[in-house]
Amino acid sequence: MSSIDSPAIVLDAVSKSYGEVRAADEVSISIGRGEFFGLLGPNGAGKTTLIEMIEGLRLPDTGTITVLGMAPAPRNLDLLPRIGVQTQRSAFFTRLTAREHLVTVAALYGLPPATAEKALDLVGLTDSGDVRVTKISGGQRQRLAIASTLVHDPEVVFLDEPTAALDPEARRDLGQMLRNLKAIGKTIVYTTHHLDEAQTLCDRVAILSAGRVLALDSPRELIARSGIGTRLVVPAGRLSPEQAGTLDGVNGVAVEDGMLVLRTAHTARVLAALDGEADLDDVETRPATLEDVYLELIGAPQA
Amino acid sequence: MSAYAALSRAVYKAAVRDATTVFFTFAFPLIFLVIFALIFRNQEVADTGRGYVDYIAPGVLSWGLANAALFGVAFTLMQWRNDDLLRIIRLSPTSIWSVIGSRYVVALGIGAAQCVLFVGVAMLPVFGMRPDPTWPLAIPIMLLAVTAFLALGLIVGSAANTPEAVAAIANCVVVPMAFLSGSFYPLELMPDWLQEVSRVLPMRYVNDGITYAFTGFGTMTDYLVSCAALVAFTAVFAVVGVRTFRWSNDS
Repeated sequence: MSSIDSPAIVLDAVSKSYGEVRAADEVSISIGRGEFFGLLGPNGAGKTTLIEMIEGLRLPDTGTITVLGMAPAPRNLDLLPRIGVQTQRSAFFTRLTAREHLVTVAALYGLPPATAEKALDLVGLTDSGDVRVTKISGGQRQRLAIASTLVHDPEVVFLDEPTAALDPEARRDLGQMLRNLKAIGKTIVYTTHHLDEAQTLCDRVAILSAGRVLALDSPRELIARSGIGTRLVVPAGRLSPEQAGTLDGVNGVAVEDGMLVLRTAHTARVLAALDGEADLDDVETRPATLEDVYLELIGAPQA
Repeated sequence: MSAYAALSRAVYKAAVRDATTVFFTFAFPLIFLVIFALIFRNQEVADTGRGYVDYIAPGVLSWGLANAALFGVAFTLMQWRNDDLLRIIRLSPTSIWSVIGSRYVVALGIGAAQCVLFVGVAMLPVFGMRPDPTWPLAIPIMLLAVTAFLALGLIVGSAANTPEAVAAIANCVVVPMAFLSGSFYPLELMPDWLQEVSRVLPMRYVNDGITYAFTGFGTMTDYLVSCAALVAFTAVFAVVGVRTFRWSNDS
């Protein structure tokens, strides 16, 4: 069971209800070692319940969960040192400095202060080590939260919306940090509402709604299978919708905000056909994104 | 470093780095001492040859100890639960007893420091407190008082989800109790039925025990009853505290 090839996390037909609400409905997911796995879905879809069951904080009503070959609940002291959990609220010890906080967290795992120093270095916070946790900036808070998660060098890391409320630069830095984590072989379970991030970072994603897994695959595969295809946006007045509909390879035509939007699975063919009819300057090609797939599945109107 | 030592250090630093905590723990009881000293200046308690300060100081000290122990642990518990720190601890191999133990040892240390500072100031010539040679008997009472009010603080800290709620609940518990237990006002001057009410309040026994240690007022039996009563209160509060304990706000 503990071989390197066995999955890091296995959920088998896991269900959980709160009264009438199905928070998890027959969820089966297997996450491989070293995989960067995204858990997506609207608020209330059951992401938090699912993660808390994997962490051993909640018990499923039915179904089984194994993490690194072990049952996470009841509180499993063999498993806990091998997982790291970042909570949504940044959990910092009151009125301590960043360094003192990490030293305390390291001690919770029976580790020496030197471990805290390494974690501080890993997230690039060595210079801010003596700043009180309440005084550090938003981006640094998130790094410190991640450092707290990594201080004991866990094999499986749970990150709950780590990039929420960050400015674009901090988000980019954090994205790079997450790639580094994956590069050193951590298994990462990642929840986010930033679908562009999920698309670039995650090996596979599960899209959840009302406790059910609506889709589970790599972002690329999900996009390809969705058949949404590429959207070509043609500035107004270049050609009529009727004309556009007759072009080779065009599957659909719509007018949005005065622009003509052509949908296709064969971008090159459409562009070639379009070249004979209209000026190609400023024609935009927009490949389908994970966000398109997500919105189609969740049922919100297409952007 | 053990989890217990690290958590103790974290709690200690959080306490001494907060001006409000330091003020209410150490300076506030002294302010009461000054006020009572002004009210009862130069008065002697009839037939004892003792100044009022010998009776008032143990009462104010009892209140100060109880107040700091209860508020301190209630705030810590509420804050650690709100900030998800309890969750972080629960997801580490550290036992909950290390958490409670660390908070306990800091509370005992703070209580001891309060006693030394308060009695030291009360013994200054301007206040003129003269403790009896039996004063070491105050030490067990101090330990038991901190323990009982820490257990009570666990209940308050589980009941309250905001700092405001902690302050409101803790004040509602401590302030009337201090008056009804004779911390600010001699029990002998109260109606009989109120004196009976005081028997169900833990602070009364802190008060009795510390007063006996410092002034010899009462009997050794009363003193032992006070110790036993505080042990019993601790047991009750601890049982309720464990039952009301919550790891997080949403479970």
